[in-house]
Amino acid sequence: METIINEFKEIAANPKKQLAMYKKQGKKIIGVLPYYAPEELVFAAGMVPFGVWGSNNKNISRAKEYCATFYCTIAQLSLEMLLDGSLDDLSGIITPTICDTLRPMSQNIRVAMGDKMPVIFLAHPQNRATSYGLKFSVNQYTNVKKELEKITGKEITDADILESIKIYNASRKARREFVKLASEHCDVIKPTVRSAVLKAAFFMLKDEYTAKLEELNQKLAALPICKWHGKKIVTSGIIYDNPVLLAALEDNDIAIAADDVAYESRAFRIDAPEDIDPMMALAKQFANIDCDVLLYDAESAKNNRGEFVAKMVKDSGAKGLILFMQQFCDPEEMEYPYLKKALEAAHIPHIKIGIDQQMHDFGQAKTAIQAFAESL
Amino acid sequence: MSEEVKVPVKAAKTEVSPGVQALRDVVENVYAEAREAKKRGELVGWSSSKFPCELAEAFGLHVVYPENQAAGIAANRDGEVMCQAAEDLGYDNDICGYARISLAYAAGKRAAKKLDSATGQYVIDPNSGKPLKDDSGKIVIDTVTGKPKKDPKTMKPFTVVDDLNEIAKLPEGEEKERRTAALKSYRQMVMPQPDFVLCCNNICNCMTKWYENIARMHNIPLIMIDIPYNNTVEVENANIEYIRCQFEDAIKKLEEISGRKFDEERFEKACANANRTAKAWLKVCDFLQYKPAPMSGFDLFNHMADVVTARGKVQAADAFELLATELEEKVKTGGSTLPFPEKYRIMFEGIPCWPKLPDLFKPLKENGVNVTAVVYAPAFGFVYNGLDEMVRAYCKAPNSVCIEQGVAWREGICRDNKVDGVLVHYNRSCKPWSGYMAEMQRRFTKDLGVPCAGFDGDQADPRNFNAAQYETRVQGLVEAMEVNKKVREGGK
Amino acid sequence: MSTKYTLGIDIGSTASKCIILKDGKEIIGKSLIDVGAGTSGPQRAIDEVLRDAGKTLDDMTYILATGYGRNALMNLACKQMSELSCHAKGAAFLFHNVHTVIDIGGQDVKVLHIENGVMVNFQMNDKCAAGTGRFLDVMARVLEVKVADLAKLGAMSTHRVAISSTCTVFAESEVISQLSMGTDKCDIIEGIHHSIANRVTGLVRRVGVLPDIVMTGGVAQNFGVVKALEEELGQKIHTSPLTQYVGALGAALLAYQETIEE
Repeated sequence: METIINEFKEIAANPKKQLAMYKKQGKKIIGVLPYYAPEELVFAAGMVPFGVWGSNNKNISRAKEYCATFYCTIAQLSLEMLLDGSLDDLSGIITPTICDTLRPMSQNIRVAMGDKMPVIFLAHPQNRATSYGLKFSVNQYTNVKKELEKITGKEITDADILESIKIYNASRKARREFVKLASEHCDVIKPTVRSAVLKAAFFMLKDEYTAKLEELNQKLAALPICKWHGKKIVTSGIIYDNPVLLAALEDNDIAIAADDVAYESRAFRIDAPEDIDPMMALAKQFANIDCDVLLYDAESAKNNRGEFVAKMVKDSGAKGLILFMQQFCDPEEMEYPYLKKALEAAHIPHIKIGIDQQMHDFGQAKTAIQAFAESL
Repeated sequence: MSEEVKVPVKAAKTEVSPGVQALRDVVENVYAEAREAKKRGELVGWSSSKFPCELAEAFGLHVVYPENQAAGIAANRDGEVMCQAAEDLGYDNDICGYARISLAYAAGKRAAKKLDSATGQYVIDPNSGKPLKDDSGKIVIDTVTGKPKKDPKTMKPFTVVDDLNEIAKLPEGEEKERRTAALKSYRQMVMPQPDFVLCCNNICNCMTKWYENIARMHNIPLIMIDIPYNNTVEVENANIEYIRCQFEDAIKKLEEISGRKFDEERFEKACANANRTAKAWLKVCDFLQYKPAPMSGFDLFNHMADVVTARGKVQAADAFELLATELEEKVKTGGSTLPFPEKYRIMFEGIPCWPKLPDLFKPLKENGVNVTAVVYAPAFGFVYNGLDEMVRAYCKAPNSVCIEQGVAWREGICRDNKVDGVLVHYNRSCKPWSGYMAEMQRRFTKDLGVPCAGFDGDQADPRNFNAAQYETRVQGLVEAMEVNKKVREGGK
Repeated sequence: MSTKYTLGIDIGSTASKCIILKDGKEIIGKSLIDVGAGTSGPQRAIDEVLRDAGKTLDDMTYILATGYGRNALMNLACKQMSELSCHAKGAAFLFHNVHTVIDIGGQDVKVLHIENGVMVNFQMNDKCAAGTGRFLDVMARVLEVKVADLAKLGAMSTHRVAISSTCTVFAESEVISQLSMGTDKCDIIEGIHHSIANRVTGLVRRVGVLPDIVMTGGVAQNFGVVKALEEELGQKIHTSPLTQYVGALGAALLAYQETIEE
């Protein structure tokens, strides 16, 4: 088990090495920015989808050419890596536009990349579950598919996509299973490990990843369920993969029972149907995602998302919730008051900790985490 | 998006032309009619600025516009307290200032004059007010402090935030009366609360969550028209089809909300009005092509209020046409409403900092800089024919278009309106707008050969604007324009 | 049962403070050194508190460290806890009916909600320094006055100006432009006090304005800020001459609690 965990850790910590490895294998790699790009199509095209969600080890320098300071560091650092050569091994990049930062960023990236690499534009519909919304998703995904075909020079068949959907569904299932096991065995799967295992998915071909994860899941399932004497919480936010921050959770004996995090569970909650037209299946997969800060809630008058998260905390047996608020992420910020309302109604203590990827001193965050643990 | 605000120039206050007055009245009426309608128990909706107003107009529904309201509240100097009230509700201070003001308002927060709870008197801000003048018009100096004395009549109380829900819960009596009387009563602060919301995210995606929050607060229906971001100048047919289907759904929902059938004829009429307004608006904007211009381009920001709140109404079309006639006359006589000689012409890029209009205007006036181009002109001057073209028109908002379209709009008016430079507002409140500005600035300089200067600010939260920085940037721009001019003249 | 001595050490970003308690009740020694984490301050503060109490380290039954520099003391302390828990504990010891603690430190503002002497909820400032002790330092430098003099200068203000910028750099520029317009320094200082009070009030509201309200930390010595906060919150704010020691006191109290639990 140690070996598998270390492999995941190694991969999560060295995405650049992964990139070079796939390149060496003669594979083409496509960068995938947040959120909800149909990665299945990249896989179906025989290419490697590669998650680009900023970095904890870079400074914003060249991206300043394009961005004012008040943009989320995930977007800024992703642009930084595209500009500084870190991602030169990519054969293209997909730019979704679901938030107000990603909209203009799609333009900056297209301009900045020029002839360097194809930039594949993607606009998701917000009225996504209606018949016309589904149709529009299929249309947008078809554009993405065509662009990918241009890069490989090969047609992506329906059979390829269906095969890819099956692999992705299996991968999502394994990750959901892992999240559950991680809570049951939180003495082994500490926050740093949990994060690394889920993060590695962004830099690996999903069939390879799933095989390894299923092996880990089996080993975990064979262990007796741990008696945890520390505190259990649910995490929420966009991303919290900084090792210093994760270590602060561990130092205070905090385990993660479940999460509502874009980089983690929000990315694999919903599967695609396997028994309909594969492009429509991908559209449905997106349409069925709900209770998400980035997506329009057709039942706006209700507090569905807040209540969903509060229920997650209760169901998971967690004592509280830590919201890692990504600085300048307005969808997340806009949803906070109603998340707070739902948590308070359910008597769930929570704290909100502001973070970004340019943060190097976590003094205040550590103090807040410790105090929260002390108060639970 | 905009608000009719008293231009920070004294002359404009006294010498309002019939056209400008008509435009002001139109907006005033939109608010007044909504208030009256609410009193009668009719429904009032809140709408985003570029939601297809023709749809609600077809049902004769009363609609008001939170963006316009927020700008007005900010221009009335209450942006800061309302933003803070939203922050107290848990909305982060990085969220758009309009959204913060609107959410605080929706939650029942209101700007009020500060009361002394012991005496029931208002607490006067010692820094407010104008200097006291004696009979000969000379400023009276306080012999103790050596500073000008204040005219007590012009001094105002501090502003605080009160809560309608709290006031409503008070027992009838003196405190309730006092607190009710202390609430500010300008039109944006007495806008009726919503019975339904109309959201179109062509202007930004922040709108989506903003309106969802309002729908939750009031437990009311929301109609969502989603306009996907565009990566090309041409809008794809798939987008048109997706949006047209949403229009049809919106009509069904409006039928449910209003309990009335969709009135085709009324809809046609609203479309015809919107087209007339757009044409007249463009005509007014085009007067800025004259050199010198017959007006201050800053006025366009004020007239935007009509385009936003009343473009489907015949009164707005009439008022713009009247203003166009007046401007035509000004051109003939060589006059201008600009209160200083025009030395330089610039494009002002972005939404103005409403709470700081005098600060924005001051260095421009001092340096003879007239704003002769704003992107609102092409972005809101859309003329269409038929439903598909209408859908296409609503796809094109300042923040829903690709960089090439954005640049083309701006460079088009910069050329037509002969600008010497560009002043760019990096607007903390507006991520989609400011998001590709740096690249645009480079293109303006390259394509137009004009200098650009950027400054930090905010459309509604005065805490994010700094007058000293702004003045320095304007000065820098003026110096660069001067050099540019000399080089050009020398070249001839 | 023998007498128990417990030592609470609070190493902040700008000061080091110690308290020695006898049997969790009586303060028998205290010390304060004006430099904090990463300096000689912590050691000097420990030496001084022992001298003050006439005790040695060996006399201490339990030592508990808190504050920004708490981790650096783990060779000495038996345990470390966050300064939030310590401030809550210390404030509840000094003021029995406390429900809200406002602690303005060098680089943090914390608001604690306390029920029955125990912290149940808290808020901390986000991202920027506006509203913290650091903000006062920067402003005092611009105004060429001593931080310690701010309160009495502010009290002489007659026409307080509004300093409203969210960011410290902008606020600094606002102050400079007021100075260049010839505005009275006292009016600017009073404006700064209110600007801090305003920022802190937002945090307090998020927790709930629940009396009694106690203010701790170094900035609590500035009665100008305290008064401004009272105005903004419409509530009396309690302070203590021991205001700077509240964290260390809480640490010593929690240390005593540990000895009982052991």
